[in-house]
Amino acid sequence: MSRPAPPKDKRATSPWISIKNDLIAYAFMAPYLFLFVVFLLLPAIVGVYASFTKWGIIGQPKWVGLKNYNKLINSGLFIESLQNTLYFVVLAAIPLIVLGLLLALLVNQKLRGRNIARAIVFLPHVVSVAAVGIIFQWILERSSGLLNYYLGLLGVNPPINWLGDPDSAMPAIAITTIWWTVNGNMIIYLAGLQDIPEDLYEAARIDGAGRWQELRYVTIPMLMPVNAFVIPLTVIACWRVFGQVFVMTRGGPQGSTFTVAQFIYETAFVNFNMGLASAAGVILMLITLSFTIFQLRAMKVI
Amino acid sequence: MSVSWRKDSVYRDGSLNYGRLALYAIMVFVAIVWGAPFIWMFVTSIKPDTEVFSYPPTWWPDEPTLEFYTRLFESFPMMQWFRNSLIVATITTVLTLATNIMAAYPLARMRFRGRRILLLIILSTFLLPGEILLVPLFLGMIKFKLANTYFSIAVPAAANAFGVFLMTQFFLTIPVELEEAARLDGCSRFGLLWRIFIPLSKPVIATVAIFTFVRSWNDFFWPLIISNTDATRTVPVGLAVFVGRGLSMRFGVIMASAAAATIPAVIFFLLLQRYFVRGISTTGLQG
Repeated sequence: MSRPAPPKDKRATSPWISIKNDLIAYAFMAPYLFLFVVFLLLPAIVGVYASFTKWGIIGQPKWVGLKNYNKLINSGLFIESLQNTLYFVVLAAIPLIVLGLLLALLVNQKLRGRNIARAIVFLPHVVSVAAVGIIFQWILERSSGLLNYYLGLLGVNPPINWLGDPDSAMPAIAITTIWWTVNGNMIIYLAGLQDIPEDLYEAARIDGAGRWQELRYVTIPMLMPVNAFVIPLTVIACWRVFGQVFVMTRGGPQGSTFTVAQFIYETAFVNFNMGLASAAGVILMLITLSFTIFQLRAMKVI
Repeated sequence: MSVSWRKDSVYRDGSLNYGRLALYAIMVFVAIVWGAPFIWMFVTSIKPDTEVFSYPPTWWPDEPTLEFYTRLFESFPMMQWFRNSLIVATITTVLTLATNIMAAYPLARMRFRGRRILLLIILSTFLLPGEILLVPLFLGMIKFKLANTYFSIAVPAAANAFGVFLMTQFFLTIPVELEEAARLDGCSRFGLLWRIFIPLSKPVIATVAIFTFVRSWNDFFWPLIISNTDATRTVPVGLAVFVGRGLSMRFGVIMASAAAATIPAVIFFLLLQRYFVRGISTTGLQG
């Protein structure tokens, strides 16, 4: 900075004053730090610890080493929940990101009524997962559901048993999730688009760039920093899918929508096997963390 | 020139611009896809039993009825669930605002030992999947006999770090000169926060408040685990448990329950739309 350095304040260098300064700072932060430590940091640490123990709903934890992890690796149910969740991540995260960008590009055009369109797409954001799950159970219903009726008009026959068929249940959950949460990514991309300086487009036009070239050589590269947090947040959210499944299928049919979060819920709060559930939570954390690091490295952010 | 050319028009030089027309068509399609489920939910909730399964589907009943809403509020403690949701979301929001504003001030404006490491720890929790916290929080609440209380549902949510991050970022943009002038006038640190930072940060405070409220209102996994009585059960948990009770054929009542939960949220959103857009676009904050 070009500003002249402020004159040295004698008090600021005195150790006593600097301790007082630290105390003031920590006094301001104390209420939040209390909540943070008690309800976030400590539970996270205890969660990792619990994964190495046998722990019921009452009584003391008993250290068992890696036994829970060993059990998980050999548990068909857990492996299945990992596969199902990975399948969901592929089905939902890619459209959430691509469609989020496309919708942002759409409502960024100078079109009459675009604010209304944006508001409508955004509306599901404020609706609870319970209501979303209920609405989509009805829309996806096999014989009287709205979706099958209109698909039928387009020639899709016989009607799809969306939530009743193991092959279509996960895609149905993904469709619901996309409708419900794509708006977040749309708004983030929209803010990113509006931050791109207009002169870049003008320069591209002077060089004879068409619309596609503008998109390819200006818009997409300029959105890279936005991608660096849209992609990990979307993927993490998809790995954590729970509410939609709980309301719409409870993991069925035939376990086809049984996800990791569902496994944790049932293991901890139905069967009260806290240690095993914690180990599953740690594995979920390792998966999302390694994905995030891998992705940020690939994008050269870190 | 006598003809003014509007950028949003589908006509250009007197002839149709097909590219624009296609964009309008896509936009209308998008609006229908995202709007129709809401309308369909509401229409179903006012259809008498005889019309619910009519084929082809009808977008308005011949004999609209509010019977299912009456039945919903008679059969289920909806008002109690609403009250619980309101109390829980209010506690979380007030606690979040009070603690986050206080914490953001030194993080943005003071030099103190441990600042960098503290920020790093707080921000790294964004990447933590919350499932890892559920077991310890649950066991802790049981141990201290706090399960099924408003406290147990509302308070853990206030530990979320998004608000601290957002407010710290905003406080950094407030001119230092203002602060220095006030300090020369003998204003204390707390006075600075109260008289300068809070009044200047009203938009960001509103954004954090609204987001925290909506997130708390819609929170599902934790309230599902920690409350199992109607005395504290929130609306989303009530709905999920209620649908789980096997009323599968009474679509009218079920849709009325979804509509009753959704309509207040939609009104809330329409009133405060700009804060939502600002909140997401500045932080990636999701509900």
